[in-house]
Amino acid sequence: MNAFQPGLVHLPVTPFTPDRRIDFDRLGRLIDFHIRNGADALALPTHAGESVSLTDGEKRMLIEFAVKHIAGRKPLIAHVSDAGTAIAAALARHVEAAGADAILVTTPYYWTPPPEMILEHFVEIGAAVRLPFLVHNAPEDMGGAKVSAELMLTLIGRLDNFAGLVDASLDWQFMLDLIMEARHARPGFLLISGTELMVSAAAIGATGMFAPLAGVAPNLLRALFELCRDDKLFEARAAQEEIARLRQLLKAGGVASLKAALAARGRDCGQPRPPLQALDRHAADALARHLDSIAALRDEPRGW
Amino acid sequence: MTNKFRGVMQSPVTPLKDDFSLDLATFEKVLDFHVRTGASAISWPHHKGESLNLTIEERKRFAEAAVKTVAGRIPVTIHVSALAVEDTFALARHAQDIGADGILAITPYFWTPTREAIHDYFVRLCGSIELPVLSYNSPSYLAGVEITGELMARLIERLPNFVGVKEASFNSEKFLEISRAALKLRPDFALVTGVEFLLPSVPLGGVGSYSAAGSICPNLCRDLFEACVAGDWPRARELQYKVSRLWALFRNQYPSSLKGGMVIMGRPVGPTRPPLPTASPERQAYIRAELEQLGILDTEPHGW
Repeated sequence: MNAFQPGLVHLPVTPFTPDRRIDFDRLGRLIDFHIRNGADALALPTHAGESVSLTDGEKRMLIEFAVKHIAGRKPLIAHVSDAGTAIAAALARHVEAAGADAILVTTPYYWTPPPEMILEHFVEIGAAVRLPFLVHNAPEDMGGAKVSAELMLTLIGRLDNFAGLVDASLDWQFMLDLIMEARHARPGFLLISGTELMVSAAAIGATGMFAPLAGVAPNLLRALFELCRDDKLFEARAAQEEIARLRQLLKAGGVASLKAALAARGRDCGQPRPPLQALDRHAADALARHLDSIAALRDEPRGW
Repeated sequence: MTNKFRGVMQSPVTPLKDDFSLDLATFEKVLDFHVRTGASAISWPHHKGESLNLTIEERKRFAEAAVKTVAGRIPVTIHVSALAVEDTFALARHAQDIGADGILAITPYFWTPTREAIHDYFVRLCGSIELPVLSYNSPSYLAGVEITGELMARLIERLPNFVGVKEASFNSEKFLEISRAALKLRPDFALVTGVEFLLPSVPLGGVGSYSAAGSICPNLCRDLFEACVAGDWPRARELQYKVSRLWALFRNQYPSSLKGGMVIMGRPVGPTRPPLPTASPERQAYIRAELEQLGILDTEPHGW
């Protein structure tokens, strides 16, 4: 379990055709792009990959496709979150059988169950598989719902394959409370930065990073990740500030901005599915110009 | 101006007699203790000093005592935040009149002012005195009232005496947005974390902390700061974990647990004013056991 070290994890978007079907041809090209451009592992379909807008059948197909296409070149972390515990557990079993290397789960969608039931949710999904199990703490995505360090420590006691936490809360207190206790309870427990804002997390003890922006700026992210991994935290600040700037630029528009940015860099992955709204032409052009004006992005790849 | 507000700055607790009146003789001892054990500056009365449970007259009286007792050995700033903004202005003027080195002011309490109102508040405050002003950003305690990076930049551009922030969001994104905006415009702007979250902040431009635990373990606080500025991250991690365990102990019933801990360290400072509780003998016994387990009783000064 502790041998699982995801490193820099790229989060591919899910390309759609103009009639809103998954564009598997482009997904294959996109996966190849990520592998060629510095990914240590891939996670899909994440929120950046519009997982919530895919049917259960589509998620299964997408993971099956990704396993075959990646063909062992890099580990694949399958995201199996759902509202219902049994639905997520069934998907977890499916992706394990399909050949994924780890699974990732958030708190349940929509509901706000008491902590005991959030614990049961994680236990039931995690116990459905033998794969390393990662919890994604993403309060900003989940209407403010977040997990406590105490709950995660209880989960360590309940679930042998609970390998680590992917943190997007950005909360120093939470990360410290968790990591200093978790590594006593389970040596090798992973703290993974759930966003590209890795420097503070790395200082606290994070060893991996989930990077939704990896499709836009893979070189800058690779540089930032390696500096953090090598504990060169002062040296990482300049790259961190550039990434923070890019993140702020794309943040308000979410997946629509991310896809517009990908298209602007010559990797058109189509538009987001409803209910997300694509950027209009004017906003997409302005974004493309803005990206062109950022000196730190000049060395980033264009096209596939 | 060169910024002198850096390092481990101490915000003393406010010693009280058994009848809850101010204990001046012990306050002088607390101040001397901090100066002798390496504080880089004094700032009083933070919330830890029960600022909001003191009358404005009491605050002025002890502010004078602080300036007089420290007597120029290190800088003294006065925390002027009060429920009524008019009191804040009076305290700021008073701090200047008594020869303090600066003031610290939070965004207004209770109301949820707009970004423009926060801007205007700091413009008025900074314009009312010549002293350096440090702002205090605490969005999680003040219902989202926040000095964003953008607002910080506007204030820096406009106000020559707006020299720093006590940053208490303890969040990677909020800290980065402020550091990225502020240091570009004012490279010696003092980014100071609210309690000892030095490990996640120093790599991003943080220059110190307003200490919470300094009256208990000044040696540990100083060692952590030195490890961070030296970039000795493995050691800094070990020390930060220890400080964070202490913070978990003291933030429960803060600051009464801190006063309880001071009894155990041989530096009794009396009760805590209602509505805050005073540490019971049982609570003190628990704190003693925790301090023993962390080795604090062996490594930190006992008595005055």
